[in-house]
Amino acid sequence: MSPRSLLNPEDSPARQTDKLLQIVEVLMRRVEQGTDLSGAAYAQFERAAMLEEQVRARTRELEAALDLLNQSNARLAAANRETEAARRNLADAIETVQEGFGLFGPDDVLVMCNSRFGLQLSDIQPALVPGLSFARYVELVSGSGQLSLPEGVSAQDWAVLRLRRHRDRSTNFTVALKGDRWLQVSEHRTGDGGTVILQTDVTDIIRAEREARGRLLDDQARIVRATLDHISQGVCIFDAEARMIGWNERAAELLAVNRTRFRPGLAFDDLAGRLSPGSLRFEGLRAWVGGPTPRQPLRFEVTREGGVVLDAFAQEMPDGGFVISFTDVTAERRAIAGLSRANETLEARVAARTLELGEALAHAERASATRSRFVAAASHDLLQPLSAAKLFLASMEDEDLNPRAMDALGKTRSALHSVETILDALLDISRLESGRLSVRPQPVPLGPLLARLAEEFAPIAADNGLSLRLRPTAAVVVSDPTWLRRILQNLIGNALRYTDRGGVLVGVRHTQAGIRAEVTDTGPGIPEADREAIFREFHRLNARASASEGMGLGLAIVERASALLGHAVTLDSRLGRGSRFVLHLGPPAEAPAAAPPAPPVPRPDLPRDLIGLLVAADSDMRRALTHLLDGWGVNILDVPDPDEALALIEEIGLPPDFVLIDARAGDEDAGLALMQDLARRHGPLPARLLTATRAEPLRLRALRAGVPLLYKPLDTGLLQRFVASAARRD
Amino acid sequence: MAPEVMRVAETPADDPQAAATLARSLGPGPFALVVVFVSPRAPERERQVRALSRDLAPAPVIGCTTAGEIAAQGYAEGMIVAAAFPAAHFAAEPLLIPDLSSLDAQAVIGDLIRARGALARRRPDWEHEFVYLLVDGLSAKEDELASLLSPGLGATPLFGGSAADGTRFLETFVFHGGKALRNAAVVTILRTDCPVKVFKFDHFRPTDTRMVVTHADPARRTVQAINAEPAAREYARLLGKDPGQLTPFTFAAHPVVVRVGGRHHVRSIRQVDENGDLIFYSAIDEGLVLTLAEPLDMADHLAGALAGLTGAQRPAAILACDCVLRRMEAQEKQLTGRISTLLRDHGVTGFSTYGEQLNAMHVNQTLTGVALYPPGAAP
Repeated sequence: MSPRSLLNPEDSPARQTDKLLQIVEVLMRRVEQGTDLSGAAYAQFERAAMLEEQVRARTRELEAALDLLNQSNARLAAANRETEAARRNLADAIETVQEGFGLFGPDDVLVMCNSRFGLQLSDIQPALVPGLSFARYVELVSGSGQLSLPEGVSAQDWAVLRLRRHRDRSTNFTVALKGDRWLQVSEHRTGDGGTVILQTDVTDIIRAEREARGRLLDDQARIVRATLDHISQGVCIFDAEARMIGWNERAAELLAVNRTRFRPGLAFDDLAGRLSPGSLRFEGLRAWVGGPTPRQPLRFEVTREGGVVLDAFAQEMPDGGFVISFTDVTAERRAIAGLSRANETLEARVAARTLELGEALAHAERASATRSRFVAAASHDLLQPLSAAKLFLASMEDEDLNPRAMDALGKTRSALHSVETILDALLDISRLESGRLSVRPQPVPLGPLLARLAEEFAPIAADNGLSLRLRPTAAVVVSDPTWLRRILQNLIGNALRYTDRGGVLVGVRHTQAGIRAEVTDTGPGIPEADREAIFREFHRLNARASASEGMGLGLAIVERASALLGHAVTLDSRLGRGSRFVLHLGPPAEAPAAAPPAPPVPRPDLPRDLIGLLVAADSDMRRALTHLLDGWGVNILDVPDPDEALALIEEIGLPPDFVLIDARAGDEDAGLALMQDLARRHGPLPARLLTATRAEPLRLRALRAGVPLLYKPLDTGLLQRFVASAARRD
Repeated sequence: MAPEVMRVAETPADDPQAAATLARSLGPGPFALVVVFVSPRAPERERQVRALSRDLAPAPVIGCTTAGEIAAQGYAEGMIVAAAFPAAHFAAEPLLIPDLSSLDAQAVIGDLIRARGALARRRPDWEHEFVYLLVDGLSAKEDELASLLSPGLGATPLFGGSAADGTRFLETFVFHGGKALRNAAVVTILRTDCPVKVFKFDHFRPTDTRMVVTHADPARRTVQAINAEPAAREYARLLGKDPGQLTPFTFAAHPVVVRVGGRHHVRSIRQVDENGDLIFYSAIDEGLVLTLAEPLDMADHLAGALAGLTGAQRPAAILACDCVLRRMEAQEKQLTGRISTLLRDHGVTGFSTYGEQLNAMHVNQTLTGVALYPPGAAP
């Protein structure tokens, strides 16, 4: 319905104006008069309506407030219910605890407890109610008639101690109650500083424990009694007041005391006085018993009349008492006395025999040393002329000789070589036996070593119409290369020497036990009986070979050298078929770093004006060397001794280009001294000391003096190299 | 089963043994109060009421004449309906106001307060209280009475209805103490352990069409002129109708409202006087601005409003005062069946009025009443 106009549009304007004026008039009157008497009923309605609106608004607010109130009431009620439920649960829970349970708050006031709390203290339990202070609780308990206070402790003392315990975060103790009842009290601090007390009745436990302990003690007493009666020792047991409380029959027997005298409570002094008056040993025991505790155990021996020897042992017990035991050791003592007599006789005989043996040993040692010295000296003295002979021969080879002379020269050289070999072998043996030889074990590749040996022995094998085969190998072992080479050299040489036909095979085998070097020949074989003998020096089987081929020293060297290196040598041989010597070389080793190749030997391309000083006391040696060096175009100043050498150099006023000093055995230091004198005047000079002494200390001393050694018999190649190096120095 | 909060009985208005029938139907008491709604067609209405008072004594019997009853089947006519409140759940104190033309406010308020105090002492454990007013519907004193009673109510809600005389507007009675009284009112205070909720439904929406009362007789609730024109004619013009076609159904469908305190209140028109004046059901005055209102769908609105009474619990019974104009609108719009079904389904008992009272107000064209919930329930 569209709103209708207040005025009827059909009315005339005048009528409309008139109506509007009337409407305005009535509205103005209403506004001005508000409510007059005539309109009281409507005014009442109007007031009621206004009021109603206010009431409605107020009611809404009230309802909202009421609603909130109800909600919070509901929540409060729920919270109260929960709190009550929690409290009830807690109370139920602590009631189900089998122990007495009490909870004190952080202010030390009892918050709650269950019905078993303080149940055993029936006279004070009614007072144990929430609100009770801890101090009052302790006071009540300490005053309880049920409490069994320890002797000498008053109720006040007990309360003080109890309160002191309360200061601990956690404590646990057992309280004795009247009527042999026991209460264990555990006290723990809670998170908020309150205290929980648990009281557990442990009467049953404690009584049970006590009974068990009593039974145990009874059992133990029976066992001890049985043991005492059983053992062969006499035993007396005393208490802290030194009164006898236990013994066995054996004790009376051993101490020879009338057993009626043994009675409980017998004082130790009475017993000791009765035993053996004046015995010092027993005085010692008395002092021990009377001495201050704790006493160290005491052991002594006492001889009773009739030669009975007793071993007595006294020991303190934890309670201050002590035990003394006696053992009859008469038989043992007799046996020991007999033994010591026998021992003395035996020792005298051993001493006498040792003396004899010592003399024999000294004799043997002297003989051995004499022999070694003889061999060394003889070898050395032989080497000197041998070196000279070789030098002469070397110089002669450069001469123009007729064929016969050349042939003789060749044979001479061969003979000299044989002599030299024998002498070397003898020197080796002497060194090996002296025990002063130092070996330097290191990784040694067997391949190159064997290859060189094969090369060395090939001509000999060919001369004898034998085959010499060598299996190539890459094996490496730990050994002293020099002595290993010498061993194999001797084994191969020996094999070739004693084989008529066929040949020799050299091979290396890897086995579980390690590497084995084998030298197998097709010779006549070695009879069982000779298999030990062959390793002795100067022993030769089937002495077919000429003297120049050796004196049977090879295997002796092999045996000694391999013993020195720790290599075992075994022999496997069948007569008429051949022999095989096996050298056991131990486990394989890592290959050594490849050594730099040796520098090539320089040719004696020497300048013509080179001057050498030769000092040699032996005139043969001096001549031979001079002859050799002259042949190389070197001008040699040769003198017999250091003094002349110094004088000569002084006279010339010119230092030589090099110096060679031939030293006799034991006279090497004179040569070193000469070089020091020369060096002081002319600076360091190239020099070599020629010696047959192969001693390590000397070698080192010479090196330090700047005079390295050249060993005799002289290797002309090494000499040539030295001279060449001295020439290049300028 | 929910405890019985209100027991209802009915019998045709011409039943010669109406009182006996009703007493038998209500069954054994004791009752704190019995209210009878008596059709104007009932012969010997005073005798019946007296007989009922005697039969149900000591329960007080109060009541009034109606413009139709609300009984077991909803809207009804030509019936006598009795609603009885069991003493198990109610205590009642009816107060008679015998002469509305000479009201002594202090005396009435004093009686009211004393009566409430007496009830509170008698039943301090029952915490719910409401006041039920039955007043002569032709006295034109309802506004004054409602306003007068309110200081004596305190926080207790009041609702009530104006006695009616069908659509004749000749004589209306209230019953008290076995007597039929005119120009009187009965104010009854009820205290109960049943939670109660006093309510007022109306279903109008103001339009933009407004008018000004330029001449009126407030004492007779008569408006002579609107917008300086004869009232009926101007009302008809604003509706777009012929002034000769204005009937009670027109007034029911097109009420006017006044705006007070931010709310609109219906001022219903009762009838057109021969001289073209408009007679209202409620107080009126010169200089009022009346706004034409249009109705919402009455049945839908009622269904929603009644459903709204069910909060935590459905009401056990409803005692209602329903404006006669609503009954007319239902007839006009052929909604009587739907409305009756709704009233029946919600257990509404009461009568059709010439006006309703809520607290201090006298209003029109509403359904005003009290919802009674089972004891112990939250409304």
